[in-house]
Order: sequence, then structure tokens, then C-alpha cells
Amino acid sequence: MNRHGFLGDVRKNKTLLLMLIPAVLFFILFAYVPMAGIVLAFKQFNYGGGIFGSPWNGLDNFRFFFESGNAWMVTRNTALYNIAFIIVNNVLQIAAAILLFEAVGKWFRKISQTVMFLPYFISWVVVGAIAYNLFNYDVGTLNSILTAFGLERIDIYNTPSYWPFILVLVSAWKALGYGSVMYLAAITGIDTEMYEAAEIDGANVFERIFHITIPNLYPTIIILVLLAVGNIFRGDFGMFYNMVGNNGLLFSSTDVIDTFVFRSLTTSNEIGLSAAAGFYQSVLGFATILLANYAVRKYDKDHALF
Amino acid sequence: MQNKKPFILLFALVLVLTTVLSACGSNNNAGNNTEASNAPSEGTTEPAANDGNSEELVIKMLLVGGKPIDYDTVFGELNKKLKEKVNAAVEAEFLDWSDWTQKYPLKFAASEDFDIAYTANWAFYNDQALKGGFLELTDELLKKNMPLTWEAMPAVAWEQSKVNGKQYMVPNNNPEVTDKAVLIRDDLRKKHNLDPVNSPETFANYVKTIAANEKGINAYNAKAADGWKWHELDQILLEQQNEWNLVDYNMPLAYKLDDASGKVFNVYDTPEFKELLKYYKDLADNNAWSKNVVSNKNDVWQDMKAGKTASYAQNLGTVAMNLAELRREQPEVELAIADLTPDKKKIAAISTQNGFGIHAPSKKAERSLKVIDLLQNDKEIHDLFMYGIAGTHYEPVGDDKFNATAGTPNFTGFSNWGANSPLNRKDASFPAEADAIADAWQQKVYNFDLETFVFNDANVKNEVANIGNVMLRYAIPLEYGLIKDIDKGQADLIKQLQAAGIEKLQTELQSQIDAFLASK
Repeated sequence: MNRHGFLGDVRKNKTLLLMLIPAVLFFILFAYVPMAGIVLAFKQFNYGGGIFGSPWNGLDNFRFFFESGNAWMVTRNTALYNIAFIIVNNVLQIAAAILLFEAVGKWFRKISQTVMFLPYFISWVVVGAIAYNLFNYDVGTLNSILTAFGLERIDIYNTPSYWPFILVLVSAWKALGYGSVMYLAAITGIDTEMYEAAEIDGANVFERIFHITIPNLYPTIIILVLLAVGNIFRGDFGMFYNMVGNNGLLFSSTDVIDTFVFRSLTTSNEIGLSAAAGFYQSVLGFATILLANYAVRKYDKDHALF
Repeated sequence: MQNKKPFILLFALVLVLTTVLSACGSNNNAGNNTEASNAPSEGTTEPAANDGNSEELVIKMLLVGGKPIDYDTVFGELNKKLKEKVNAAVEAEFLDWSDWTQKYPLKFAASEDFDIAYTANWAFYNDQALKGGFLELTDELLKKNMPLTWEAMPAVAWEQSKVNGKQYMVPNNNPEVTDKAVLIRDDLRKKHNLDPVNSPETFANYVKTIAANEKGINAYNAKAADGWKWHELDQILLEQQNEWNLVDYNMPLAYKLDDASGKVFNVYDTPEFKELLKYYKDLADNNAWSKNVVSNKNDVWQDMKAGKTASYAQNLGTVAMNLAELRREQPEVELAIADLTPDKKKIAAISTQNGFGIHAPSKKAERSLKVIDLLQNDKEIHDLFMYGIAGTHYEPVGDDKFNATAGTPNFTGFSNWGANSPLNRKDASFPAEADAIADAWQQKVYNFDLETFVFNDANVKNEVANIGNVMLRYAIPLEYGLIKDIDKGQADLIKQLQAAGIEKLQTELQSQIDAFLASK
């Protein structure tokens, strides 16, 4: 098999390897080189000493996070929100991809795809402003409609219980187009002969979807979900900060690790404290991805990431 | 269909790869930022070696505020003069008001290339000075490079701007009072036959009447969503009204102005705060402000100009400028400046209210000081830097006044205040009533020992961070009347503050204050 040795392999796959280079460089530059900065989590940073010269201060930087009494709440919020995002977003994206694939009419397909994709390009700052105009108490669209029908206004910005739904909804709306393209591409890659054979055997649309399309999507689903699981302890800062801002009333149900740390540290600007919080998230994320990968491996070796 | 497949597969692969990349990229974002921002910070602190002005230098300045539209023209003119006098040119970088609080510390942490930075007690001066971001300015350095300033600056202004006994800033030279005033719609007040607003009670009456009778107008508004923890009304109704002074607006600890022993207490745990909560709750229940005030992201002054807001609180100088602006643009709308605490003691702004510091790693420190010297104390250069080009951006009136022109908005809105000095011109249209208030305030300025005290939070930074968070989460909604049961709300707030370590913070602050007073 391996007649030409390592160099031979390299020569044979030179195009593929060339395509890999940007990704490798990216990781070296932005993931491996900065990793040494982790020491900051254990240091009392000052400009004179810099990253490596500043004095050590043990676990002092972690104290702030755990002594705040909020560590559990924000960690739980972060994880729950991300689990909800992963489930809701992936289910909707797969559904959308299948619908698009089965849809007849090129124009209908293109237009609905574009409309779904559009929110992906809207920045969270703008989404936050749109949401404020929809939901605010005095002149918000929603409340104007409600009063026009003679109903009571609802005070969304002062009621924490609405927010998990709003945030999940907004996240799904924004991610739908992008995610569905990925699944659509995977569906298009499924061998058409299988569909033809199924049709000859008399399978209807639903049987085709549940017995051919979805089983063939498993590898893609598993990869995407595993990648998302690794980030389960990182809140989408742009989303939470722009949607909720500094509205203290909503924190009990909307505060995630990232916004909590940001808010606490904009006053003190202690780099060591933010490094400690980031380190905490990385450790938790690392543990979850190992666990998830282990679980997948147990179930089916071929589908695991590593 | 068949030959399309490889492309589609490739496309899918690229998409998946991008996700992998972006997923892992964001994975490390937090780390990256800290890393990138610190990498080059080993820069050594070396004062410039250039003695004379033989070599032409470009001095980079870090300013806060939006870049003025006519920056190029005005700074072009300014640089001609600077080249003549000190063989230097300045190049300014502007940090927009919307996110300067995030960018400013990063500029230092990343040790970016700049020489002069605007700084102030409200703009990270103590923080950056303690972290080593500014070059220490010795008397020799100042005397040698800043002859005009050394001559003009009162000794007390230098004294007030020292951190731990060392000078890191060239403060501005412009006495003012920091108290807040309220800007109201006087036409609406007259329409409803209300008494002039000059006390907390008359103000409450004004906002409640407006809220009840004027549709579509917020009687009072504040930009509560920007993360400030101590709001303008708190400053007026709690601090000014009771003659207290908060040590730092990020923690709720204050002392009484006339208490020579400087005993600090938790302002949220006082009968005065309890009373204030009732006052606020009454206003909130009467719709004095929007229910969504804590999510408000609009510029309050712009809302007021548009007729959507009927009052807001700010520094006297700011509301006076607003008043002048509206008189020019919408003479039919009548505004008035209201002082809700006219008889109370006033606190003079200490010199660190505005100033310029030299970035510690700068290699052009001496020339930078020479430039600051001219910006602050050379009539011609000062005029250019503060007001722009005569005839275009302002109309000089005598030596000490100016008239605004159509071009005025094209060169304003950024922190050139570091160069404030007795050479400042006054707006000839500056409202007489604001002048009257300012003069009256000057009479009541109260000087006290702790005026120049600076808190060093190095030992309690965990507590400071957590307490700030508690203020945002529990105090702000309580103050804006969004919590139904205010007694319970206050009890919760105090309980959370205790959990966050307020007692430790208070002990630390007290011991620093005691030491400070003992050394006086």
C-alpha cells in the first residue's frame, strides 16, 4: 500500500495539503501561539512586567467569579441556552433543508433560500435595535398592535420569563439560512440512485425522507452538533449583550458567563480576571467535548470526531 | 446532475471547514484578545533623548470623542503653527463616545504607538497611572519643556493631579463645579401654570404634570442602558441634596462633606436613600419616565431636541450648551436650567476633570510636553485646537468670547478639554442664566481635605467588580421604580452587597482614608 513512503503521499495529495495550509496557519497563529497567554489567569498583570514578567498570584483571579455567588447561575444559563440553541436550530435547519430539497420550482427555492439567509448578515447591534422597536412598552410594534385590538400591553423588557423564548427564537431566525445550506449541500450529495430505487419500490415522500435523507445526514449532524457542544459554555456575547444590555431586571434569566464577566470587568479592566473566566470556560468546554465524543464513539466509531 | 456533485461536495466541505474554523476561532477569542493586546507591552519606559527640536517629529495623540468633520483642515493649520514653534506635527486618533470605555484601556494594554493621551478622573486616569500606562512627569521635565504651563498652572492643580505623590498628567487649568443641573421645557411648565422648578418637590410636580397631560412625551429620560451605576438624579437628589461625596461612582460608599474624620458609609443603607426610593417610586408610578428606561439606548439630548423628552440632567456646562444650541436652531422652544439643590455646598472640580498624559513607552515625551504646553497656553494654537479656524468654525468676539457659526458643529464634540485654560473663549450666546448659576455655585464651593483622595483598589478588585455588578442588577431597577415592593428591594440590595463583600471594601477604603487624612 504505502509504496512511496511519506514523501510519496505528500506528492500524491499535494493539492489537498495545499488547501489545508490556511487552516493550519490559522490555528497556529490564533489558537496555539496565544495559548501561552493562559498564564495570565494566574497573574497580577501590570504593563511593566507584561505577560510573562508580571507577578504570580495563585488562584486569586478565580476568586472574583466564584465569590460573586453568580457562578452557578450564569454557568447554568449559558449551558441551557446553548443546548436549546443546538436542538432548536439544528431541527429547524434540517427541516428547512429537506423542504428546500423537496420543493419544486427553481425560483421558489432560490427566493426562500435568500430570504432565510438574509438575517445571518444582520449584525447583533441592529437586531438588538429591531427587537427594541418591536418589544418596547410605549411605542413598540407588538404593543401598538395589542392596544389596537383592545388588549393589555405586555411589559417585555421588565419580565424575565419571556426572554428565554425570545432569545431562542431570535437565534433560530438568525442561524436558519446558514445552517440549512450546510444540510442542503449534504442532502444534494446523497446518491440519487437510492431515491430512484425507493421510488420504484413505491416509497412515498415521507418514507424517502425518514429512511433515506435523514439516515444519510447523520454524519453531518453529528459533526455539527459535536462542534457546537465544544462551545456550550461560551455565551454568544454579541447576541446577549445587544438584546439585553444592562437591564438588571432580566439578568436572572438572561445572564451568561460572557456578559457577566464583561459587565463586572469593564470597570476594573483587570486582564487577569477575564483570562481566568476564559480559562474556566475553556476547561469546561474541553471536558464536554471529550465526553460527547466518547459517547458518540461508544455508539458508532466511524462518526466520532477523534 | 452527475457532474455537479463534486462541486456540491466541495462546497459542503468548505462550509464545514469554515464552521470548524469559526467555531474554534470563537473558542479562543477571549484568549486571543488578551494575548494580542498584551504581547508588545514589554516596551521600556524611556524618556525622549531628543534635546533640541532639530528633528521633525510626528506626535500621536489619543483623543476621546468622534472625529470632527473638519479635522483635516483644522489640524493642517494647527500643524503649520506647531512646525514653526516646536518642529512637530500632531496626528490624532479618535475613540468614539459609543465604545471608548472599551477601547481606551486596550490601547494601553496593547501598548499601541501614541505619545499623548487625553485622560481624566472619569477617563481611567488613576487606573492607568497605577498600572504604569503613563510616564511620570518630574518637575524638571515640566519646567524644562512646559515654560508657559509651569507659569500659568496654580500649584494646587498640580497637587490635585498626583497619584500616590507622583505626577502623571498635565491637568487642565479651568476651575469649575461638578454638580449636575436639570434641563426642563419651560414652555410646557408655563403652559400648565407650574411653579419654577428649583427643588426636588417642584421637579416632581413638573414631571408628574407633564406625564399626565402631554401625550407622547417622556417627562424625564436618562440613558440608563450604558452601564453607569450612579445616575445623574442620584447625584443631585442623594449626593448634592445631603452634602455627601461618593468616593468612586462604581461603589456606593460616601462620606459627609463636613465630616472631618471622613467616615464612610453605605449610601444604600441610609434613611435618606429610603426616602429617595419613595420619591422615585412615586415618579415611576406616575409615568414620569418610560417603563423601558433601563433599556434606553437613545441619546437623551437628541430625544429632547426632537420634543420627545421634557427633562434630563447633566453638567451645568453641557445643559447650557444645549440651551444655546436650541435657541439657535429652534427659537420657538423654550428651555430652562433648573438647579434642584441651590442652597447646598458645591464641590469644585478637581484639576483631573480633564488633562493630558504621556504614554509611558513614548520616545517623544519631551516634544509631546512642548506641544501640550502650546495647546494649553499659546493663544493662537489654543484657539485653533479648541475652536477651529476663525471665521469658519467660530467668530471671535474680542479676546475672550466667540460666536458660533454654521461651521461650529464641524469642529466640536471631542475631548480637547485637556487644553482648557484661562485662554478659553466663552460662547457669547452662553445663556446668562447659566452664567448666573455658575457664579452662584462658585460662591458656595466647599473645599475639604478629602477632595484629592484617590482610592487604590488593588487589594479589593474582586469586591469592586462584584459590587458594581450588584449595583447594576439590584440598585438601578429599584431606583427606576421597576420593583414593586421597595422595602424588600432595598433589603435584597443590601443583602447582595454584603454577599459581594461591601464590608471588606468599606474597611479597606476607611483605612486608606484614615491614612490619607493622617498624612495631611
